[in-house]
Amino acid sequence: MNKFNFYPFLLLLLVFTSCEKDIDIELKTTEEKIVVEGVIEQGIPPYVILTKTVGFFAPTDLQSYQNSFIKGAVVTVSDGITTVQLDEFIVDGFTVYSTLNPAIFGQVGRVYNLEIQAEGKILTSTTTIPTPIPMDNYWYKDQPGFSNFGYLWFNLNDPPGLGNAYRIFTQRKGKDARFIPAFGSVFDDKFFDGLDFDAFIFRGQEPNSTAPDDNNETSEYFQQGDTVIVKFCTIDLPHFNFWETFETAAFNDSNPFAAPTTIRTNIEGGGVGVWGGYGVTYDTLVLVD
Amino acid sequence: MKPLLVVFLISLFAFQASAQKKYTISGYVKDKATGENSVGASVYIKELLKGTTSNTYGFYSITIEEGEYTLVVSYIGFKEIEQKVVLNKNIRLNYEIEADVIETDEFKVIGEREDQNTNEAVMSTVELDVEKVKALPAIFGEIDILKTIQLLPGVQSAGEGNSGFYVRGGGPDQNLILLDGATIYNASHLFGFFSVFNADAIKDVKLIKGGMPAEYGGRLSSVLDITMNDGDMKKVKVDGGIGIISSRLTVQGPIKKDTASFIVSARRTYIGDLAQPFISDSSKFKGSNYYFYYLNAKFNYIISDKDRLFLSGYFGRDVFTFRNADDGFGMDTPWGNSIVSLRWNHLFNDKLFLNTSVIFTKYQFEVGLEQDQFEFKLFSGITDWNAKLDFNYLPSILHNVKFGANYIFHKFVPSNASAKSGDVDFNTGDIIINYANDIALYASDDWDINEKLKIHAGLRYSLFQHIGPFKRYNNDEFGHPKDTTVYDKGETVKLYQGLEPRFTMRYTLNDNSSLKASYTQNYQYIHLASFASVSLPTDVWVPSSDKVKPQFSTQYAAGYFRNFKNNKFETSVEVYYKTMENQVEYSDGALPEDNAGNNVDNSFTFGKGWSYGLELFLKKKYGKVNGWIGYALSWAEKNFEELNNGNNFYTRYDRRHDASIVLTYDISKRLTLGATWVYATGNALTLPVSRYVVQGQIVNEYGERNWFRMDAFHRMDLSLTLKGKETKKFKSSWNFSIYNVYNRKNPYFIYFANEGDPSNGSLDVQAKQVSLFGIIPSVAWNFSF
Repeated sequence: MNKFNFYPFLLLLLVFTSCEKDIDIELKTTEEKIVVEGVIEQGIPPYVILTKTVGFFAPTDLQSYQNSFIKGAVVTVSDGITTVQLDEFIVDGFTVYSTLNPAIFGQVGRVYNLEIQAEGKILTSTTTIPTPIPMDNYWYKDQPGFSNFGYLWFNLNDPPGLGNAYRIFTQRKGKDARFIPAFGSVFDDKFFDGLDFDAFIFRGQEPNSTAPDDNNETSEYFQQGDTVIVKFCTIDLPHFNFWETFETAAFNDSNPFAAPTTIRTNIEGGGVGVWGGYGVTYDTLVLVD
Repeated sequence: MKPLLVVFLISLFAFQASAQKKYTISGYVKDKATGENSVGASVYIKELLKGTTSNTYGFYSITIEEGEYTLVVSYIGFKEIEQKVVLNKNIRLNYEIEADVIETDEFKVIGEREDQNTNEAVMSTVELDVEKVKALPAIFGEIDILKTIQLLPGVQSAGEGNSGFYVRGGGPDQNLILLDGATIYNASHLFGFFSVFNADAIKDVKLIKGGMPAEYGGRLSSVLDITMNDGDMKKVKVDGGIGIISSRLTVQGPIKKDTASFIVSARRTYIGDLAQPFISDSSKFKGSNYYFYYLNAKFNYIISDKDRLFLSGYFGRDVFTFRNADDGFGMDTPWGNSIVSLRWNHLFNDKLFLNTSVIFTKYQFEVGLEQDQFEFKLFSGITDWNAKLDFNYLPSILHNVKFGANYIFHKFVPSNASAKSGDVDFNTGDIIINYANDIALYASDDWDINEKLKIHAGLRYSLFQHIGPFKRYNNDEFGHPKDTTVYDKGETVKLYQGLEPRFTMRYTLNDNSSLKASYTQNYQYIHLASFASVSLPTDVWVPSSDKVKPQFSTQYAAGYFRNFKNNKFETSVEVYYKTMENQVEYSDGALPEDNAGNNVDNSFTFGKGWSYGLELFLKKKYGKVNGWIGYALSWAEKNFEELNNGNNFYTRYDRRHDASIVLTYDISKRLTLGATWVYATGNALTLPVSRYVVQGQIVNEYGERNWFRMDAFHRMDLSLTLKGKETKKFKSSWNFSIYNVYNRKNPYFIYFANEGDPSNGSLDVQAKQVSLFGIIPSVAWNFSF
């Protein structure tokens, strides 16, 4: 709903008269920034991926992508009592910082501080794992005009008091390789504080997916018969602010009329990205109308 | 400030100084054929080489010592009237001027002091001849006053085909657009391609870019004062036009000859309707349409020689509906302006003229969305109740005094939303309305101090009181509402007031040249905020409040004005420097949805702007070939502490060079050629400089604000107007236009196409430049009977 955008219609209007051509643009060079992708969930180890921003027209082959990963950083996570330095792992050729020390596995209600020393810089951030708020109910319904395709519906009873924020991921068994964020994956309770209400989930997809079912007229729907695991998370507000602006930016990047969206990072010290805590609940459903 | 006040006071009380016997000649100047008032006609005394011009209502008054004089009335395109008068008592002389049908390169030598370009203490001001505008090329054949305005130096177009404009580095919200004295908040139709004004119903268009006189206020950058025709006092007349995307019709005539008349003008587009047959019943877009229509109406009644009433109305609507059966999606967006203005002219005596206006203005915008059981509505708008008293006092030929008062009650609905899912209403917050009292008092004098020096000195006092009921959301550090402060009905939320001095002087160098300078300060109590890089009806008007201080500008301008060949050519060179305080922009990271259930101004950040430049203007007023050449060299910058790391940045419409050539050529009595050529430095844009990936999703990092320049814009348009055989009863003409004659691919926007898959390294990024309009021929048929 908050993805409503005026401009596609303008584009539609212009289709008949406009024309386009390729141009070359000389970009300004800017300093590289450290990109933080850090996650901490209850019951599992925290992990942090560190990369660098790359020039807009820089090559995007696998080798260049791997080169953007930062190795040899000192990454520590602290819950105020226990401080643990994360180890460097290589997963499929990519560097990931994590730990097998259960003392720092995520716990509901705790505040986690992150510190990164890399490339001569020190970056810090803080996040919380809020108490998970489970969904009341999920169901599937065919979209009018379609048989076997529709949204995944839910009923949520938001606790009174502003400041609750949520993020939704789904994984279709046998179809998706991981939990994929829903399209417009985050929302907060600004509009429905304390309300008991129904809403639906637009199915998200892998970025630049070439899968046939991500490129047809039913790409935003789930299919009847799918087995879907929903990962429903509560997150804190700075974490919410990051994803809300990040997803808007990703959505608007191809829209020439929108003013560039500034992504609100919770990383301090000159980096970009997010250090985010998730209070998670999982539900598995078989979709039947 | 202080010396200025002194000059002002001296000018007000200077009339007492001389005590010789003086008498007044006064009256109205009208067009003989239609009975329409002539605005800005020159009335002067040949022997003294001094005179005046008729005001917006055609009224003039000259007070001089008793004696025998020759009075001359002249107006471009009309025959000059000369009359001997013996002035030994106050006399009333109404003139009816006749159109001058002979159009040749021969021109009459007219009074040398008559010329307003070099003689008036007015600068940075241009009046458009609406008849000439009609002969100029127009895209799709749709004549548009606002697009002609953009061809003047110092006025920048908001973009290809866009009727929005920017004056001397000021924002689109800083233009005061008046239609018969009523403010028009959004002068454009859908996406700015067409303006809301119908040239058939317009009598006079005046643009003030600087040196704003004291009677105008409430905006920083410019005044566009548009006067509608009053309606033919002599006979019923019908004008109309059929174009490729719209048609229009104007009917006017006397209700009682020479006493009361009316004019009604309407226009409707049908491009969306024309597309309907091509949307099949089974199409998923069935039910989508777009059109706009508007209606101008005016009625006027001459009650007596001293009293006259005008009632004007404007009603315009854009209707855009979009349906997509695929996802059960529907959207409706009605928006538009409604205006009613009632004005009463009263002549107390032959020196004192009063116009009283009562005006109601309403601008509203709404988007309604539906998908399945969800309904979402976004609405914003402004309603004004406005009362004005404008006095014009002409105590002697040396003075033209204006003073008055203005009260406006504003009701702003900045941006509100309602949403529901089935039966559950979402809490999108209370509907926040801002109420305000807006008061202004002003006085000014145009004073001929001596043969060489003439000044316009004015002072405006303005007050803006934001009053309750009002609810202020206090946000926490994450930008989410924490608690609220509630103001009761009538309670003052915030009060602002200020003095705005206005000063312009003219110093005559010789018979055909003068120097002018002006100094003006303005307050503006409303602000326009936009998320998009183009101006859209979704942009939100927000009043000054406890969070937002009024905009304030100071402008200095100086110029050299010179006429050649007996005023056949007018030229001017002007330089200006303007500063603007308390400018608003959305904060970094603000999103449109933050506005719902919160105060819009909570997402603002504040800064300042400044602009400076040089403008050259050459105009040929008479003859078979006429038109103008304009050039502007300018800079417009801004600085916001919280944007762009606190560094200065150029505004999107910063234009180093802006040039235009506008010509009409009367090839024969029936054939007129129109041509325009424009050139402008490319728009400044913010483009990405780098990119990064989080959870597999790529996003862009942007560089300095507006660091990139698009290619320069240039374009030539041609038109040919062929008049049909004229009979006494029926006139018609064909207008053929070619837009973008040499098919220049002007940049409209740039986007980046990502092709391929980043995970296997085949991603390719290509910048693409999109041009909006190539060469577009069009034809329109106009008639009148």
